[in-house]
Amino acid sequence: MAREEPDVKALNEAISSALVFNDEVKDGGGVQITCFSEVVNDVALHFQILRLLKQIYVWIGCDSAKLGRIYAAAPTRPKDMISVTSILGGASDNTGAGIARRLVLKTGLNIILACNIPKNSPMLEAEAEKMLVQKLIQLGYTRAKAEGSSS
Amino acid sequence: MDSSVPRFPVPYKNLSLDIKGNKTDVVLCSYDDHFLVIATQIGAMGTILHARKEEGVSIEPTFNVSAVFGKRDEPMLLACARQLIQHISISGSSRSLVISLGLKDHSAETLKGVVSAVIENRLW
Repeated sequence: MAREEPDVKALNEAISSALVFNDEVKDGGGVQITCFSEVVNDVALHFQILRLLKQIYVWIGCDSAKLGRIYAAAPTRPKDMISVTSILGGASDNTGAGIARRLVLKTGLNIILACNIPKNSPMLEAEAEKMLVQKLIQLGYTRAKAEGSSS
Repeated sequence: MDSSVPRFPVPYKNLSLDIKGNKTDVVLCSYDDHFLVIATQIGAMGTILHARKEEGVSIEPTFNVSAVFGKRDEPMLLACARQLIQHISISGSSRSLVISLGLKDHSAETLKGVVSAVIENRLW
């Protein structure tokens, strides 16, 4: 009786849930890389997630494979507020800063986000974020919601 | 009626090596307009530098290297980025480089190790 590896089982589940995407998870030791692409309203969205021990790097590509603007976001003490800063590009364009911020909320980790979604596409931004978060939950990178008892 | 799912457009490499006894994870990605290099020993991206070639009127290009996140006063990191952008330029590409170095020490030996590992596995 062959024991099914958890990876294969998870993949089967994903396939059978009528969601079709290119899923590549490569583990080079310390860094896990996950890449996938989806199409939303004739626009191709590409996602690349790099999981480091204490940080997650995410790239969101909208049709092109340009790097785009880079943001760094992290929780800052004392009140656990999230700070976001633009590292590259982003002078007149803040598309993606919001996503970075919310990723920190969901994962509790430092986030570096590179995003080339064009300005003034809030729907696209929202869709991309939704897909990204779905994937992060699936990969187990998000933290459980029930944490602590702060009210 | 599924529209064909696009192929993921960014080539990348993920490797792990030992530099001076420290396990170093190196990731290289090739975007349309940038190369991304991540070399980490600390489980985080560390200092992020941006290096680009500026083509002027003169025959020889000049390079602009700056730390955009993290430690801004580490000359060895800047030197590392400078070496790599020069290598990119010599190989014929005019793309910029974003390199993040999360290293336990900034000795010349460590950085030489990083540079040679990147060049050996380069995507340009």
